[in-house]
Order: sequence, then structure tokens, then C-alpha cells
Amino acid sequence: MTLQECYTELGGNYNDVISRLRSERLVTKFVVKFLDDDSCALLLQSMEAENYGEAFRAAHTIKGVCQNLGFTKLYEISNQLNEALRNGLSPEAPALAEDVKAEYQRTVTTIKAFKESAGL
Amino acid sequence: MGRTLRPNSVHFERGVGPIDNHNTRKPKILIADDSEMNRSILADMLWDEYDIIEAEDGEKAVEVLKKHESDIDLLLLDIVMPNMDGFEVLEVMNQNHWIDDVPVIMISSETASTHVERAYALGCTDFISRPFDILVVHRRVNNTILLYGKQKKLVGLLADQIYEKEQQSLMMIEILSNIVEFRNGESGLHVRHVRVLTEMLLDHLIKKTDRYGLSHNDILLISNASALHDIGKISIPSEILNKPGRLTAEEFETMKSHTVIGGQMMDDLPDYQNEPLVQVAKDICRWHHERYDGRGYPDGLKGEFIPIAAQIVALADVYDALTSVRVYKPAYSHEKAIQMITEGECGVFNPLLLECLMEIADTLPEQINNSAVTGQIELRSIAEELRHHEELSASERTLQLLEHERMKFSFFAAMSQEIQFEYTVNPPMASLNAWGADRLDLKETVMDPVHSPEVLKIISQESMDGLVRALRSTTPAQPVVRYECILNIQDEPRWTRIIARATWSSDEPPKYTGAIGKATDIHESRMKLEMLEREATHDPLTGLLNHAAARKQIQARLEDHPKGHFALAILDLDYFKSANDTYGHMFGDQVLKYLANKLRESIRGNDVAARVGGDEFLIFLEYKGEAAPVIQRIFYSLTSGSYENFPISISMGVCLTDRVGMNYETVFHAADQALYAVKRSGRGNFRLYTPNLQDKLSVSAISPIDAAENTVNDKVEKGD
Repeated sequence: MTLQECYTELGGNYNDVISRLRSERLVTKFVVKFLDDDSCALLLQSMEAENYGEAFRAAHTIKGVCQNLGFTKLYEISNQLNEALRNGLSPEAPALAEDVKAEYQRTVTTIKAFKESAGL
Repeated sequence: MGRTLRPNSVHFERGVGPIDNHNTRKPKILIADDSEMNRSILADMLWDEYDIIEAEDGEKAVEVLKKHESDIDLLLLDIVMPNMDGFEVLEVMNQNHWIDDVPVIMISSETASTHVERAYALGCTDFISRPFDILVVHRRVNNTILLYGKQKKLVGLLADQIYEKEQQSLMMIEILSNIVEFRNGESGLHVRHVRVLTEMLLDHLIKKTDRYGLSHNDILLISNASALHDIGKISIPSEILNKPGRLTAEEFETMKSHTVIGGQMMDDLPDYQNEPLVQVAKDICRWHHERYDGRGYPDGLKGEFIPIAAQIVALADVYDALTSVRVYKPAYSHEKAIQMITEGECGVFNPLLLECLMEIADTLPEQINNSAVTGQIELRSIAEELRHHEELSASERTLQLLEHERMKFSFFAAMSQEIQFEYTVNPPMASLNAWGADRLDLKETVMDPVHSPEVLKIISQESMDGLVRALRSTTPAQPVVRYECILNIQDEPRWTRIIARATWSSDEPPKYTGAIGKATDIHESRMKLEMLEREATHDPLTGLLNHAAARKQIQARLEDHPKGHFALAILDLDYFKSANDTYGHMFGDQVLKYLANKLRESIRGNDVAARVGGDEFLIFLEYKGEAAPVIQRIFYSLTSGSYENFPISISMGVCLTDRVGMNYETVFHAADQALYAVKRSGRGNFRLYTPNLQDKLSVSAISPIDAAENTVNDKVEKGD
């Protein structure tokens, strides 16, 4: 799987990220690094613990990272969640958190497959 | 002289900005962001040019700033962070004045204008929104650090120079005064005490009144000059100066002369008569023993005739003399001294100054005790104050103004429906306003736009080259270019006017660095203009050129090709009036249209066909070789048919430029005469003008034709 295919698979914008970060090597590095990011775990824990301030920040972090990496799909959902948590818990937040979780897992799975096929 | 006092190396290192503080030192950037990913993306972009310190939340960022404040050249700051968010960090930076020295660029996806405004209000320098572009980050970081660095360096240099200069002159004054004090057997502190007292009194005085028009500068000047008040004592014999007992009347007169002598010394300085310091020092030297009631010496000046500088130094001198040990007396206490002065035991002083003395009395002893070092502290604080003040005005205000301009620009850019761009040669990159980018379907930042395939889809290579050529051939004095071309905007060719201003560096010679500009859609107006132009130049009925336009075109061709061979024919539809009368004007119009079409068909691309007016038409053509066959062909093709049973018969007069020259009016007139001749001779024919035709016309108005024309005519008639 190429990096571009990986992006297609996870619903990201490959051209956008390359045009901003200018180097396939750099993008690959950060895409792989995304696997180490624990913001999603923090998000789910915080939702569980009803610590919505922390959850808002975690969603915000996911959103920011996705924005930088051009992970469009995950960015969109986390952005919605981020807004839904801006003023504390809102009715749609729990469902959105589930969506983020699912999309996050899909993204991670795709990146893992890419990582393996690239022999990284 | 300065060099021996201060080693060179020290001198030049001071005040140099962060960029070249040490030649090898990279500027240091603090990145504060709670996401490790985001930090490392930024760090990866910047690590090779900058030293990076990372902080994972606001608290850590403040910690680093506390420890390394003077070392940090830039802070990249996220807004949403745990423990302490970006705004709180900015607030702390404001409280500690770190914001004066450390520029802050906010990086966030929170682009709500309230956030942006709040960040700017708290002194942040720039705002980069996510997702960021590596080049944009680089450029902004670089610009900010350069800007701050240069400014710090300049302010530092300036403050240093002033410090240096002030220190030197003060030092000279002190050396001189100390010589006097030394002869006096005094400790050398008197000069400093008087200086401190003078300054304190003056500072207080200007708070109470502006009667004396004293500025902060005057206070410095008077304080500095006060050190010289007893300089005249240098010429008083030391026996008198240091006599422990009471002076005789004669000795006292000698002693008193130190005032006049001091004033004289200042007067005798040949080169510095206009220096404010010397002038103030002269007043002080001569009159610091005058008293407000006129009972002092040497001149017995009274009241405000005594310069305020001298009045103040007199009071300071008396106070310090009272509180210090002298050969003729012990030291009195502060309280005793104040009491003696206010009770007039040392002569009468300006009541306002006495008030001042009373009001600052409590702080006097402490201030004077500190005065051994005060001189130095004072100086340093001037330099520091200047440094700080300059920085505020240069950094915060300038940057705020800059920011204001930028906000204004982007606001108007967003409002106006036009494409705006900014182009830099190095790095080769263009930025578009949001509206423009959307309209052109481009990114807001386009790398290497001159060669970008996306851009060349919008503007043709030819137009791009033309635009670049035009920009490069501007000068710094005349940098503006107007360029009209077709842009393919959303797959539709649109006429567009580009107005751009080339930017030139201030180097010598100036370098072309890029351009700013805007592109306005002028398609509608251009089309309208073209239509109006067409309406103005064409006959509405037949669509042929009108006479005025034809004349213009023909004149232009005659001028452009003075060696060309041209023929101009004027032709007239025979019996047109009867067609009109018989079948009506509608029919007449149809006939005219029919003939116009025939005309169009019978000429070539560069030829001109026009309706002169009524049923009169004109053809202008260039020929090679013989004119006759061409004209004959045209005549034949025009007369070969009929329109709805109305036979087309025309009369045509022709003139060749070979015969009459290249003046349009002459050619037209000649062709008209040939036409006239044809009509007179029975219509349905054509003739070439010859010079003798005119002669004969004038005689008989009938046209005998020369041999060549006869030949042509014969052939034509045969074909008829």
C-alpha cells in the first residue's frame, strides 16, 4: 500500500497534506506516529468519567492533529464532537464520541496496514 | 579614550540582538502545545534552523519562560491546553513584561474572531491557523524573529551609545570637581550630595509648578552642572581654603571671589560657549551664593533674577555644608539643618524651594547616604528606561499597527469581490485572498505560480510571460503595471484587468522581489465597449463599416504602406430611387443589404468595404501587378445578378493611388469624379480616374477615357 492509497483508504486528502508539508518522508513519519497518539483513549476515558472539559480538549487535539495530517474524515467527525463539547456535555456528544471512536479505529487499522506493507 | 576604559570586545558584544548574540547560536523557539504530534510536526519543520524547546501545556511553558526568558526568541503557542491555556500564558507574559521581549505566534484551529482579537489584545504578534503550511510557518517564524532581533539590536546599540556618552561626560565633570574637593580637604562626597539634592529638589519642583518651564532634560543638565559649582575654588589659596578658624574680612573677600572666578572659567572656555551645560554651569558657579532677598554675593541679585539653577544649587549646597563636617564646624543633624535653613540662619531662600525642601525632607538622609552609588544607578536607569521605552514604541506599537493594517487588509480583501494576490520571487510563491482563491479554484498559497500547471490553466503562457515581463521592466519609481488579458475563470474565458505593483528591494541596485496586485473582471464592460465600438464604426443596416470608420482604416493603411498599390472604388446603385418608389423603402433596404453582402463576398480579408451613405458604397483594396483585372472582376461579380427581379446595376468610379498619391481625401475625391463621369455617360459602367479626366471634366463634364481605360471598359462591356 502506498502512502497515497493509505490516504484514500482512510478518507484523507493526500494532495493537500503533501502540498503543505512538502515531503512524503515527513508525512509518512507523522502518519505512523499517529499510532502513538493517545488522545482518543483520553477522550473515551474522559467521556466515561464525565470529565467533559478534558474530553473537549482531547477532541480538540484529535481535530488539530487530523487537520495537520489531512485526515479529512476523522477531522470532520472530531470537529463535530469538539463543538458538541465546547460548552460541556450536549445531547449529541455521546453518539458523536462513538463515531469518533469507530472512525479512529478504522484510521488506525489502515495506518497499521500501510505501515506493515511499507515495512516500517 | 573610551577604548582604554572599556575593552573593545565588551563594547561590541553589548546590546547585540539574539540572532547574532553568539555567532554560532541558533535562535531558540519554545513550542507550547498539548499534542505531542503537533509539537513534533512543528519541531520537524524548524529544527534545522532553530533550537527547539517543547512544553506540553501552559504551565510548563511559563516555567520555561521563567527559566530562559532572555534566551527565548519566539514562542509558538497553542490556545486549548490543559492546566493553563494559551490566553493565560499570554496574561502571565504580560504581568512579567516578558511579552515585551518574547514575540508570540499563536497556532490554533480556533479561528473565531473573538479568539484572534483576544490574542492580539494580549500582545501576540501573529496568528497561524491550522492546518498549517510548512512554508508559511517558516516564513512567519523567520520574519518575526528577524523583526524582533533587529529591533532589539538597534535599541541596544542606541542605549549603549547614550550610556557611553553620558558616562564619559559625567566622568569628566566628576574628575574636575574632585580635584577641587581634594584641595578643599573634603571627601569628594559633597559634589555627589549636591547633585542628588539638586535633582530631588528639581523633581519635586516640577511637580508643584511649571513656572520655570523645566523639562526632564533640564533637570539632568542642572544636576550634572551642579558638580561644578565650586570650581572657582581652584584658584583660592589653600591656607584660606583650609583655615580652621574664622576668616578675616580680607580673607573672606578672597574666599567669596570663587564665585566670580568659577563663572569666569566657564566664560573662558573657548569652544563651548553655546553648550547648554556650560551656560547652566556658569550661572551656578557665579550665583550659587546669591540669596532671595538680595543679600548674597557676588552681585546681590534678588528674587527671580537669580537663575533657578543657581537658587537650587545654593539650597543644596547649604544643606550639605550644614550636615557635613567642615574644618570650621562639626556636622549638624538633618533636623537641625532643616531648622536652621527654614529659620533663615543661612540667608533667605525662595519660599517655593523651601516648601520643596520641607516636603522631601523625610527622604533626604537615606537618599544622600545612597548617593555614593546613586550616580551609577541613575545613569543605568536612564539607559534602561530608554531601552524599555523604545522597545514599547518600536515593538508593541509598530507590531500592533502592522497587525491592524493586516486585519484591515484581509477584511477589505474578503469584502471586495476581486482577486488579490501577493507574489514573492524568493521563495517563488503567490498568496491569494480567500475570495480570489475560491474564484480561481486555486489554493490560497501557490508555489512557483509562474510555472504552475494549475495557474497556467487559468492564464495562457503567453499572457503570463507578458505579465512577468511587464512587472520586471518596471522601476522602483514607476512600479505599477496595468495588464489586460483573458483568464479562464471556472472554465469560462473572461477579460480581466490586472493592476499590479512590482516590489523592489532597497538594495543598490534595487532587486525585483515580487509584486502585489489585483485582478478585476472587466468582461462585461469590455464586451459592452466592443459593442459600442462596433456600433460607432458600423452601418446598422448593412453591417458594413460606416464612412468615418472606413476612412480611418484606409488612412492607417495608406500611412503604414507608403509603397503599396491601392485602389479605391466608389459605387452607386443605379435606379435605386425608382426601386424605393416602386416597391417601398423596406424593399429598398433589402436591396442595399443584398448589395452589401455581394460587396463582402467580393473582397478579400484586408480589403475594406463600407457604406458611404444612401446607396453609395466604397471598396478599398490592395493589388499586385495590374489593377484592371481585379477591378473588372469585382465589378462583374457585383452586377451579375438581380434581387427579386430588380436588376442590380451599378456605376463605379475607381482611383489608383499610383495616379494621385497616398492622401485619402485626394483619392476619394478622384474616385468620386470618376463615378460622376460614369453616371454622366450612362451608368452601369466603371471608370478609372486619370489626371486629364479632371481637366476634361472641368471643360465638358463628360469623360473621354484614355487608352488603357478604354481597353478595360471594352472588356467589361463585352461581358455585360
